[in-house]
Amino acid sequence: MEPLKNIESLAYFSPEILLVVFAAAVIIADLLIKNRESELVAYISLVGLGCSLVAILITNSLINSNEPIPLFFGMIRLDGFAVFFKILLLLATAATILFSLRSEELDARLKGEYYALLLAVTFGMFLMASSTNLLMIFISLETVSLTSYILAGFLTHSPRSSEAAFKYITYGAVASGTMLFGLSMIFGMAGTGDLSQISSQIASVLASGGVSTLSVLIAITFILAGIGYKIASVPFHMWSPDVYEGAPIPITAFLSVASKAAGFALFLRFFHVGFGKPEILQSIDWGFILAIVSALTMTVGNLAALPQRNVKRLLAYSSIAHGGYLLMGAVLLTPEGLGAIFFYLIVYLFMNLGAFYVVVLIANEAGTEMIDGYRGLATRAPLVAGAMAIFLFSLTGIPPLAGFFGKWVLFYAVIGEGLYWLAFIGLLNSVVSLYYYARIVKAMYFETSEDTNGLSFSTGTFALLSVFAIPTIFIGLLNIFYTFSDKITLQ
Amino acid sequence: MEFTLKTFIFYGFALMTIASALAVVTVRNIVHAAFALMVTLFGVAGLYVFLQADFLAATQVIVYVGGILVLILFGVMMTSGRLEMRIHIERGQLLLGGGISLALLMLLLTVIANTPIWKNLTDDGTQLAPTTERIGQLILNEKFLLPFEVVSVLLLVALIGAALISRKEVRD
Repeated sequence: MEPLKNIESLAYFSPEILLVVFAAAVIIADLLIKNRESELVAYISLVGLGCSLVAILITNSLINSNEPIPLFFGMIRLDGFAVFFKILLLLATAATILFSLRSEELDARLKGEYYALLLAVTFGMFLMASSTNLLMIFISLETVSLTSYILAGFLTHSPRSSEAAFKYITYGAVASGTMLFGLSMIFGMAGTGDLSQISSQIASVLASGGVSTLSVLIAITFILAGIGYKIASVPFHMWSPDVYEGAPIPITAFLSVASKAAGFALFLRFFHVGFGKPEILQSIDWGFILAIVSALTMTVGNLAALPQRNVKRLLAYSSIAHGGYLLMGAVLLTPEGLGAIFFYLIVYLFMNLGAFYVVVLIANEAGTEMIDGYRGLATRAPLVAGAMAIFLFSLTGIPPLAGFFGKWVLFYAVIGEGLYWLAFIGLLNSVVSLYYYARIVKAMYFETSEDTNGLSFSTGTFALLSVFAIPTIFIGLLNIFYTFSDKITLQ
Repeated sequence: MEFTLKTFIFYGFALMTIASALAVVTVRNIVHAAFALMVTLFGVAGLYVFLQADFLAATQVIVYVGGILVLILFGVMMTSGRLEMRIHIERGQLLLGGGISLALLMLLLTVIANTPIWKNLTDDGTQLAPTTERIGQLILNEKFLLPFEVVSVLLLVALIGAALISRKEVRD
């Protein structure tokens, strides 16, 4: 299909436009509202997300699954892949807003800015999921990164939060600079920024001897540094424990799920559409390089999580490890690998956000993020402890919870391509991860604290908790009657 | 290679850019570093002229040399009393960082040496033409409208962030 021109594209771009409109509405409403305790801006943001979701579903009904619609002269593309990620990101943002409403960390005076930034970062992530041009890839990534820096450092009175923002921005500036250098090399070699043409252009200059394979290798490695930073893969993961520990807990949850998912969307599109073609992969075995990165990422994440005492930091390392599991699917460049990533992301969304929600609740009630604060939780708040146990066992991958099915689909796809060693390392890592997840469960159920007063939570809290806990138990079954690899393809 | 006045000026600009960039990272006095940065940015503007990017060169001078650098200087003068910065770097870090940088330099030099299609744009017969109008068309009417608009969201976010960080803390 011919790329649509600017004005024609606007209708298909309505989900993104709505997000920006509501971000502006939040800022204006914040100026008008005198009452500091008012939570109206949060509800305006939720309405914005709802409108955007409706727009996504309407635009989705306009596209034919086999024919993506290139918008804005091919800058972005509307396809099933983008729609999937947009819905996932919307859910993550909505959950973050609900967490923020209940979190006591955030300054009530800065609500307007906070929710406007959340909507803006979602807008950037939408673009990350749909960009098909090198320029758009970079700009969307920068929009997301810059907003994330501000959100990570949102607790301006907390030195830990400021440190998080500082480390995030320092690593981020280096990573995006490196990535931009790689993008410029690719642009120079291909003479086009269009992802779908790059592969054939580079193949032809390679064939004519115009550039060496080494240049392509270096350019792609540089770009991988930028993307690897976003998904926190080894060796670009150093920032994430400090940032996750220092940022407000709802933002940590958001970064660990939404930011990672958007990074994967960009990564998958970049490799599947831009460089997945055999003519470029001939001399360099990208699959093998990525498989090693994947194995390293999960191993480093899991081993580093073992000695952690702070639950937020522990979950940060665990989310690095989960990034490694997801990379296993990205290695394959097959529809099965893609489908496995889609399914795992859905599962990960529920179980990881759920676990972070419990961290928010405990930080509010017990005032601590350390594992010691979880002692005796089974008697003090049995429902919350039970939900946390479900999330943690699901993160480990214990059947019959969703995490098990997620890993099952991933390992199955990896074994299907003959990468037995990678599946084996993944399996070993799951065993290792049981140790540190189980330590929290042990503290909740088998240890006692001096403080035995029951903790009371509102009905809304339990309702929200069950929104995450029930899918974590049952969503694994989705896998039986729905296969993503047939439905969503990348071309 | 023919050594004309043009190549002479080009190497002058290149040398100026690299030498002042080195000075930015090596001098101790932070104000001197800022002034060296001005020379670097100006040199880059000169290199843009050689790439026939007239609009970009002018923007570089106006925005970076004229605007951002003055802001940096004001920032330095108004925020810190100390102009000398001593940053302690461990020997091991220095060796590791230097080694990696050197390896990267060698790698990139190899890339340059292995790329035979460097073309001299001015000599392939294309007419020199001003780019401003074309850029305006592309940004406001054609392909680059969306990136242009997205950058405006990016700038709005940056503005909010700057206001947040610089805001005086009010405790109640």
